[in-house]
Amino acid sequence: MVWIIVATAKKRKARLVMTVVGIAIGVATLFALLSLSAGIEGALDREIGGLGAQIILLPEGCPYELTLALMQGADTLEHIPEESLPRISEVDNVLSAVPAVVGRVKVNGQLASIYGTTEDVLRVKSWGIEEFRGAVVGSDVAEKLSLSRGQRITLDLYAQESLEVTKVLQATGGRDDTFVFVPLTAAQKVLGLGNSLSAVLVQVEEIDETTQTRYALGRMADIQAVPPSEVFDTLMGLFGSVKQTLILITGIAIVAGILTTMNTMTMAVHERKKDIGILRAVGSTQRDVFGLFVWESLLVSLAGGALGIALGYVASQFLPRTSGFGLQATPHFSLAYVGICVLVAVAVGIVSAIYPAMVAARTQPIKTLREL
Amino acid sequence: MIVELQSVWKAYGEGEARFWAIRDAGLMIQAGDFVSVVGPSGSGKSTLLHMLGCLDKPTKGTVLVDDESIDRLTDRQLSLIRRNRIGFVFQQYYLNECMTVLQNVLLPLELAKVKDRKKKAAEALASVGLGHKLKAYPSELSGGEQQRCAIARALANSPEIVLADEPTGCLDTETGEKIMDVLTDLNEQQEIGIVVVTHDEVVAACAREEIQVRDGRIS
Repeated sequence: MVWIIVATAKKRKARLVMTVVGIAIGVATLFALLSLSAGIEGALDREIGGLGAQIILLPEGCPYELTLALMQGADTLEHIPEESLPRISEVDNVLSAVPAVVGRVKVNGQLASIYGTTEDVLRVKSWGIEEFRGAVVGSDVAEKLSLSRGQRITLDLYAQESLEVTKVLQATGGRDDTFVFVPLTAAQKVLGLGNSLSAVLVQVEEIDETTQTRYALGRMADIQAVPPSEVFDTLMGLFGSVKQTLILITGIAIVAGILTTMNTMTMAVHERKKDIGILRAVGSTQRDVFGLFVWESLLVSLAGGALGIALGYVASQFLPRTSGFGLQATPHFSLAYVGICVLVAVAVGIVSAIYPAMVAARTQPIKTLREL
Repeated sequence: MIVELQSVWKAYGEGEARFWAIRDAGLMIQAGDFVSVVGPSGSGKSTLLHMLGCLDKPTKGTVLVDDESIDRLTDRQLSLIRRNRIGFVFQQYYLNECMTVLQNVLLPLELAKVKDRKKKAAEALASVGLGHKLKAYPSELSGGEQQRCAIARALANSPEIVLADEPTGCLDTETGEKIMDVLTDLNEQQEIGIVVVTHDEVVAACAREEIQVRDGRIS
């Protein structure tokens, strides 16, 4: 059967190529959307989970915006006073309260995000060091600024601070790669924040009592307590609505693919009316002819699907990796996505072939022969 | 196999434009016959051939295939009769230019999912002297070779009757004679029934029986 389709395709190479490309664009969009959105979801999960806290304490304001700013290393207008730290630590069930100050400063003359914190950060980060001193540098920023252990760096914004690089972290694929972690006081000085904090990351002793602890902390003045899971759910909800729009656009591209294939197949039926008439005259049944066109459409769609998956893979490597949340998202590839794309291609093939195949199957051989 | 037309009438068009292509025709063809159908253009020869080949149904009268009226047969059953028992040869050959000689003959067998189809197609081509041109394309063949390829396609599924509509109409005299030799051999050696529609008296003379058609009537 395949050789018949290949042989007859020779007559209309250009149109066939255009149809394959049309389907490929729809499938490529779908594949890129699936792999990129999975990458963004994964990145969001990893980043929020990577905060290492069961509760995040934030200043007044939109908690999601403030959490994103914390993850992105951007300074905010509102801050938590550092004097609150002892009171936070005294709240029942609080195991540790890790202060954090973030912002963008010049590091050796180039803009980079700094993350000021205390020794307690080692409770929530696995850096493989015994003592937090000097500057601990994320792998990306180390590469960008050509930093190595033992080198001195200068932080500069509202004040200057010189620190020794004590550790270059292994790449994590997360936001930690983009931070220069420095002692809290140094960060506050350079950022001109005095005794203010961007956030406090709270670890609890008993996970089961997290809710009570959250409410106890939330009652403190000028502080809001937010569980990372809540932030994750809300941000995923926001991303979900964007994703739905993208899926709708992809759906339109796929419907366009169906209509293009249907048009090509219908044209092919009219062009090959003579061949179909002869086939019917020499004994091909309506079912034979119907099958021939469905197979043809299916093969064209599968070729488009295969090309689309390859294009989608390549495209997702070159598309901007930064999501709307400012997260570095690595596209996630899965055989399931390949399966979904193949199924979509098969559906395009079958749906678009039904009408033209019916027209072909209904060809009356005698009518064709009389017209020849 | 016996195909019989009983008081067959065939009309085209409606109302005042109605035109009777066949009028009260009676005819019986069976395996082993060699019949030529002769008459001027528009006399109804091809219409007669189409009805013998179960491609068309009469307006009035009956077409019987082995004593069964084709009116009672489904489109699929009629297709299977054409596939397995009747072969068609056309004046213009109607070969697919994108396919090799072998593929052209293989095509109806492939769609029918016939067993050993490649072997059968090659044998049919060998029987018309084209066994050495299996991989050639129609454009690489002479007119006579193309018509022999079309005959091989008609023979591929071992039909009992071959219906040929002006098979030599596009060929020069010498090539036309060769084509008629092929059809005569098929009739004599394999006892395949042959019905040839032609204008050419020389071609008509190859048949054992000649039927004249004039204004839709057989004489």
